[in-house]
Order: sequence, then structure tokens, then C-alpha cells
Amino acid sequence: MNTAYVVRRLLQIIPLFLAVMVLIFTLVHLIPGDPVSTLLGDRATDEIVDRANRELGLDKPLIVQFGLFVVQLLHGNLGESINLKVPVLRLIGERLPVTLFLTVYAAFIGILLAVPLAVLAAVKRNTWVDALIRGFFQFGLSLPVFYLGLQLLTLLGARLGLFPIGGYGDTIPEHFSHLFLPALTLGLNLAAVLLRTLRSSVIEVLTAEYVEFARAKGLRTRVVMTRHVLRNALISTVTLLGLNIGALIGGAVITETVFAIPGVGRLMVDAIFSRDYPVVQGLTLVFAVLVALVFLVTDLLHARLDPRAEVA
Amino acid sequence: MKRLPIHRKTPVRVALALMAALSVGQSLAVTRGGQMIYGRYADSLFLDPVLNDANLDIWILTNLYDTLLQPTDDGKSVRPGLASAFVLSADGKTMRLTMRPGIKFADGSAITSGDVKWSLDRARNPDNGAWNNLLDSIASVAASGNTVTLTLKHPDPSLPAALATFNSAIMSQKLFNAAPGANDAAKAKAFAEKPIGSGPFMVSDWKRGSYMVLKRNPYYWKKGEDGKALPYLDTLRFEIIPDDNTRILKLQAGEIQGAEFIPLSRVAELKANSKLNMQLFPSTKVNDIIMNNRPKLKDGTANPLSDVRVRQAMNYAVNRDALIQLVTFGTGKPMKSFMSSSTPLFDASQKGYGYDPAKAKALLSAAGFKNGIDVSSMATSGSADDLALLTALQQMWGAVGIRLKIEQLDTATKTARYRANDFQMRTGAWTDDIADPSEITGYYAVAGATEAAHTGFKNDTIEKLFVQSQQETSRVKRTGLYRQIQTIYTNAAPTVYLFETPYPVALLKNVKGFIQIPLGNNIFERTSLEK
Repeated sequence: MNTAYVVRRLLQIIPLFLAVMVLIFTLVHLIPGDPVSTLLGDRATDEIVDRANRELGLDKPLIVQFGLFVVQLLHGNLGESINLKVPVLRLIGERLPVTLFLTVYAAFIGILLAVPLAVLAAVKRNTWVDALIRGFFQFGLSLPVFYLGLQLLTLLGARLGLFPIGGYGDTIPEHFSHLFLPALTLGLNLAAVLLRTLRSSVIEVLTAEYVEFARAKGLRTRVVMTRHVLRNALISTVTLLGLNIGALIGGAVITETVFAIPGVGRLMVDAIFSRDYPVVQGLTLVFAVLVALVFLVTDLLHARLDPRAEVA
Repeated sequence: MKRLPIHRKTPVRVALALMAALSVGQSLAVTRGGQMIYGRYADSLFLDPVLNDANLDIWILTNLYDTLLQPTDDGKSVRPGLASAFVLSADGKTMRLTMRPGIKFADGSAITSGDVKWSLDRARNPDNGAWNNLLDSIASVAASGNTVTLTLKHPDPSLPAALATFNSAIMSQKLFNAAPGANDAAKAKAFAEKPIGSGPFMVSDWKRGSYMVLKRNPYYWKKGEDGKALPYLDTLRFEIIPDDNTRILKLQAGEIQGAEFIPLSRVAELKANSKLNMQLFPSTKVNDIIMNNRPKLKDGTANPLSDVRVRQAMNYAVNRDALIQLVTFGTGKPMKSFMSSSTPLFDASQKGYGYDPAKAKALLSAAGFKNGIDVSSMATSGSADDLALLTALQQMWGAVGIRLKIEQLDTATKTARYRANDFQMRTGAWTDDIADPSEITGYYAVAGATEAAHTGFKNDTIEKLFVQSQQETSRVKRTGLYRQIQTIYTNAAPTVYLFETPYPVALLKNVKGFIQIPLGNNIFERTSLEK
């Protein structure tokens, strides 16, 4: 691994962090509505709203509020949720592991489904096997996530009683059990996206000269498939996987809502709707860093698979 | 048939009597213990009785904190709580409350009159929270022994109800002050994480957004049917399940024993489920359309809704029976007044508005709008209920020449525009927080700080009647005043009356004793799980 490259990429997160910090602070204050009125509701008098704004420092000029925000950040403090009155870092600390667990679980299921089925579809291309696999995932991709999730909950959870209906559980074995259905929902979606690209890549690689040569050398099919075909076919799929994992980290809100999972997706959407500025700002910064790290890992994996890809 | 001789009948009779007594005893015996899991649609935000802002907190605070007086189950009156009795002086300016002996907080420390004084002083402090006005009439609180004396600025007929409201909860001064923090707000945040209160339960675990566990307060003062201390349950777990379908699925699978906010479209289905008890608790919830009554809208355009005839026409053009079937699936009932029929001093003689499209057209014509009017209403984006309601109204109003444009906005934007009076109409809903009509009347019918629900409506007679009613201690006279207020308001039609809806809660059949009172409070103190 090129250490200098990794360090350089990590340092690049700093300007990204700063840019996101300025952008999100500006954007969140530009949208109509404010956290205090939204929290206190229609009935609160202007006097009560004004007092609450003063207590929260929201009556200060924006540039002053931004300065205070930056000073807080430099002390590692993301502020306090206006709605929940607890530190944002604590909220993220409680919810992020849940979302990461779900994301990794979903990615694992997605890869477990996509890789063998894509290879099978490629090997059996233009046969009924290929058509069935592609058709199944095409259909799955066209189903809205909330609908698919609800159907899985109803069938596998409520009717057959195989899995708990939503929630996160209290112990690690319970987390695996509770998160299976939501991970399957997301994983099926992810597998559908990966399968198309991977199938095409495998077909392309299967006809490559080096694969013919490997076969001609007398290598076993399993060795040809894993060491030569898959390794090369996965290159473009890894990039796609990285992009999708990045999206999953903050975007699984529908799944989190349907399955009652206390993750950051739901937290972010609730915070946006209630204009809970500190939570929106804090979460966006964390997402930016996480997504940057995911892209770094993706690029490194890409380079590992394809030494021709420079990471200098 | 040969009859038994009398001396042989006696043991049989005794045995039969014993068996009867045992079975009656068994049916009366309440099952104690166990954990009830209740599905909530959203988590609480801040469990401080004085500084909280939302129904999400209010409706479960009564399980953590008791008040001096408590609302009755029908929400229309009050009964003794931590105070066993209260007496009002002849001039109505002094209230003396007698504390029950031996009452304790959940940590076993005694609840004293000093705690009462501190709690009420904190609740009525104008710098604390949004509810201090409910205790506005109190000039001072004095505590001595087991007596608390409230000296009032003026007679206040709503005070007993105010003392039964969540923000008057009795907290421990010592425990609160021991919480970390430099000021009241900071201490409140720390204390609210795991409050030690005076209610039937206490918080034992809280994972925000996921679950909250309450365990029984071993020192609670109230007794159950079996003479032992309430509550019956050992623990109460709230699971946060935002999706309605998921909440219902979990209930049907038996993973939870109760679920709140069942969509009204699913009520009939769950009523038909033999494993469930689908309850529709009477509520104070009213649904209306709030109209801007001002001559001009915020953008300077002339507002046809400033004419009372137009507003009356809007009311006459609504077929409430059809709306109730369409939107509430038959569970609602028409509004007859701006307040619900469960609100104390609701005038049952009020007729509200019937469905009369011909009259609506005639009123519009008389107001100079023979060719109809164009109006717009804000709706909450993503709310299926709002959309169904406004789409139905669009059809009904369209039939009389009122052309409605629906503006879908997210809650924060809708609230900001509403508070800035930058709207023509909006969907509105209200539940009472106090078992007294003064709160809803002060908001909807009185100009005050919120400009009569931001409608801009002002009627000098109502203003005068309201001030009178706030100091009228005779229930008969006060009823008369509120009758007049309701009649004038209805005739002036600042809002469009729609319907009242109940609180839909579904429970497993073995859950007994749960009640949601019209104010919305979820009462679990007498809840038990039958085996």
C-alpha cells in the first residue's frame, strides 16, 4: 500500500471538511422555518419564541453563530440538539454504529447474492437461467424499498415468525436477528445494482485472451474464475459498491423507518424537518468524513485489484 | 326426582356457595407483575414537566409525576391527587390544599409541602417554559406542615384544572438541585435523563429513538383493587416504531401489547381481529381549517375571507358527514363549536353548520362573489390525512364556486408562514392540555398574543366575556358566558368546523385497565396483563 498516497488522501479530507462546514451552515440557515417555532409549535407566543431564540443564541447574527460553531468544532464539540437537548456527539455515537452495522450487513448480503449469481448469469448467458436471474433482480429493483421491506416483514416476520418485526435488539445476536430483514431489503436492492455491472464485466473478461490462456494452461475452472475472471471483473463493481455504501450510510432512512431502526438516517431526516441545526450540521460533517473514507478504501481496493490503476 | 333431605342439602349448599365465592374472587383479582410493551410512533424529547414543549412528552409525564389534583377519566373535572383535599375561600382568592400523609418520591424520600412550593414556583416562573400562564393567577405559594396555601391575584375558576396539568407536577427540590448544571435549564436537562418523580413509574433505561423502560415506583401512594400499591405492572417498555404498518404488524404478532395512533383507515380491520381490543378513546381533538380573516393577505392582495358571509359560505358548503366517512372512516363526529364536545363547558345546544350548498352560493352572491372565489390552503407535505381532507374539500367547495389551491409544505415552513400570518388557510388540529375551556378559547377566540389562532379575528364582546369568565367562580354563570362565546364565534365563523376524532389505540385482549383520557394522557397506573 502506498502510504504517502493514503496520508495525502486523508489530509484531503480537511479542506473537504471545511467546505462542507461552510456549505451546510449556510444552507441549513437559508431554508424557511426555524427550530424554535417548529419545536414550540403554533401556540407559542412571539415572546416565548424570542426568549428561546435568545437562550439558544439563535438571535445572534449568522456570522457570529458561525464563529461560535467553528470554535465549538475545534474543541471537538458538535453542539447540542435543540429538540432533544443532548449533545450531538452523543446522539451520533448512539446511532451511527446501528447504521454502520446495517450498512455492512446489507453490503455483505448484497455481495453474497450478486457475485455468484452474476457469474452464473454470465456463464449461462442468454439461457433461461440468465433470464431468470436478471428478471428477478430487475423486478426487485423496481419495487420501492418501503414496499419490499413491508412485504418481507409481513411474510417472514409476522406470518412465518422467522424474524423479529423491526427494532434493533439489545445484544449482538439480537442485532443480527433484528437487522436481517432490513439488511436483506437493502442487500437485494444493492445486489440488483451490482449484478448488472458484474455480469457484463464477467462476460467481457470470459472472452479475454488471458482467460483463454489460463484455460489452455490446464488450470481448473474454479481457479480460472476466482484468480483471473472475478479479480478482473470486480474492478468496476468495487467502485459501484463504494458509491452505494456511501449512499447507504445516510440514505437508509426509509428502511430505518419501516423497520423501526434507531439509525442516523432517521435522525437526519427528523433533524431536517424540525430544523435542528446542530444535528443537521454535525451529521453532515460526519457523513462527509465517512463517505470520503469509504471512497479512499474503494480506491485502494481498486488499486489492489488492478495494479495498473495508479495511486501515486 | 327424589329430593335430598334438608340435613344433606346443607354441605352441598355450602360447597356451592364456596365455589361461587371463589370464582367471583378470581374474576375480581387483578394480575400483578409483568412487562407491558407499548408501541409509540415517536420518542419523547424532554421529560421536564415545566420546560417540555410537545405532546410526546406531556402524554407520558403523568406516569412519572403526580400533581396535587388529577384530571378525572372523562377529562371534565378534577379529583384529589397528592393533595387529599382543597378548600377555596369565600372570596375565591385563597386556596388551601392538604397534602396526603406519608407520600414519597420514587427514591423513598418524603414529598413535602416545601417540594410543592418549589415545584409550583418553578412552574409559574415567567422565564420557565411555555406553560407558566396556566398558573398566572397565583400571587404566592406558602408551605407549612402538610398544608399548601395559594394566594391568588383574583378568583380563578381554572386553577383546580391547572393544578391537575402536567406542568404543575410535583418534583423533588433536593434531587433536582443536586443534578449537575449551573442554572435551572442545565439542571433540568441533566435531571430529565433519568427523572425521579412522584408518579407510578420511573425511568430505568432510555435509548433515544429506540426504547424507554419505566419501572414501577415502589413508594407510590395509590392503592389498587387488591389494596396493594399501584401500579400493577413491574415494567413498562415503550418501543419507538414510527411506521404505522410496522407498529400494527408487531401488535398482531404479539411482540408488543399495545400500539398508539392506529390509522383510522385500519380501525375496522383491527376491530374485527378477535385477538385485539381496538379502542377509540374520546378525545378533545378537533380538526378545522384556520382562515386568515384579515382584509389583505401578506402579499397585499385582497382577501375575500375577510367577509363573514364568505366564511359562513365555506362552512355551509362542507358535507361533514361525507368528510367523516372519507377521512375518518366513520370514527369522527361533526364539530359544533370551536371546542370539542369533551371540553368542559362545551355547549351541547350549539348547532354548528349543516350542509347547505344553496345557502353557501347565496351567501357568496350576497358578498359580491357570484362568480366564486379563488383561495389557497397550506397542507403538511407527506401527510396523507391532510391531502385526503383538502382534496375532498376542494370538490365540495368547487361545487359552490370556491376554487381551492392546495400548497404542500413541510411542517417547519408551514409553521413559520403561519406564525408570520403569511397564509390564507391552513389545516388545523388541537387537543386540550388542561381540563378547562380557557386554554382553547384563549387561543382560538381571543385576539391576545396569538391573534385568535393567527386568524386576525377579534370580537369585542367575546373579549369582554372571556375576561369575565376567567374570574367567574359560579359554574352556572361561567357556563352561560361560554355559551355566549361559542354562539358568537360560530356565527362569525373565523374557522371552518370539520370534525372531532378519537384517540385510536389497539391493545391485546389480555391488557386491562389502560386508558387515554381526553387530554391525551396515557394512564398506565391501573394497567395489568391478564394471564
